[in-house]
Amino acid sequence: MNLEEFIRQNRSGFEEEGPRPDVWAALEKQLPKPKQERGKVVMMVAKHWWKAAILVALIVNAGLLLKYMNTRQEVAVVIPEIQEMESYYSARIEQKLEVLKQLPVSETGLDSLTMKELELRNDTYTMLEKELAANPGNERIRAAMIRYYQMKLELLEKILEEHDKYTNDSPSTKKDVL
Amino acid sequence: MNLYPDNLENLPVTDQIVARCRKGDARAFHDLYHAYSRAMYNICLRMTGHQADAEDVLQEAFVQVFKNLDNLASDSSLTAWVKRIVVNHCLSYLRKKKVYFEEVEDQEWKQEEGVDESEHTLTVAAVKDAIGQLPAGYRTVLNLYIFEDYSHREIAGLLGITESTVKTQYMRAKEKVRQIVKLKSKTI
Repeated sequence: MNLEEFIRQNRSGFEEEGPRPDVWAALEKQLPKPKQERGKVVMMVAKHWWKAAILVALIVNAGLLLKYMNTRQEVAVVIPEIQEMESYYSARIEQKLEVLKQLPVSETGLDSLTMKELELRNDTYTMLEKELAANPGNERIRAAMIRYYQMKLELLEKILEEHDKYTNDSPSTKKDVL
Repeated sequence: MNLYPDNLENLPVTDQIVARCRKGDARAFHDLYHAYSRAMYNICLRMTGHQADAEDVLQEAFVQVFKNLDNLASDSSLTAWVKRIVVNHCLSYLRKKKVYFEEVEDQEWKQEEGVDESEHTLTVAAVKDAIGQLPAGYRTVLNLYIFEDYSHREIAGLLGITESTVKTQYMRAKEKVRQIVKLKSKTI
């Protein structure tokens, strides 16, 4: 019997016990961090960073509207067919909101607070509505209302557009909505 | 590969464990380590010849295994991949210890014919002791070929020397083992 044969036939005799438990104890301290979660947070931030700006934009917008109404005495904006414009924007906003609500939160990254802010009849709307009721026919308030509609619609369109971009959905959904 | 098939069967390293490791699941790292630790430690022990050094090398190698699991191709063998990382760490250790794997000029190599070591009463203890006494270069080549099942060509790639040098060193290593065992059996 030559050396190779001897070793192969007696292989188990050449094996020692495993390492001491210290090795695992030391390794345990160096385990890679659960990167899934860390990566998830980074991904969420990268994917949804602009959504965080929504709240700020909406709040700033509300502030600007108030300032706009209080400071501008001369109103240059004359909007014909106010009622028609209102119903036009309301319908489009509701339609976008409907699409948005059907998307899972995990994809949109929009929390309940943001969603509430995105609702058509939010606090700003209520405030404007009150102002309008108190000052019927006030063009400044009506103009502010239209501005509010426009901004909301732009934001919703932006959200859905970004969502489509990241999820690689077929653009058909978007087209249906539009 | 003789990597303790029983041990691996008892605790099979499934794709699921690898997937969990990739997510950073501490329990999965534990399972992966314990499936391989004994076999890999034995490689380190054979290559370094020292228990403490073997454990250090094993630990360093597993840090790399854990860190690089993402790089493991789905169609490649986990065992072979882990083993390669461990062997490479052992070789780095040897290089740090100034063990050089040099070309030999005299590259006459012929398949041994009908050499029968049984005349020297081979025992596990005697062979282990003899391998332990080999110069580090010879011991490395012999270990990689007999125990780790690498081919001469693979060993040449690992050590950065020619295949014929590996063959020559392997034959010389075996001859040395034979001489040491013979000498010892005579003195007993």
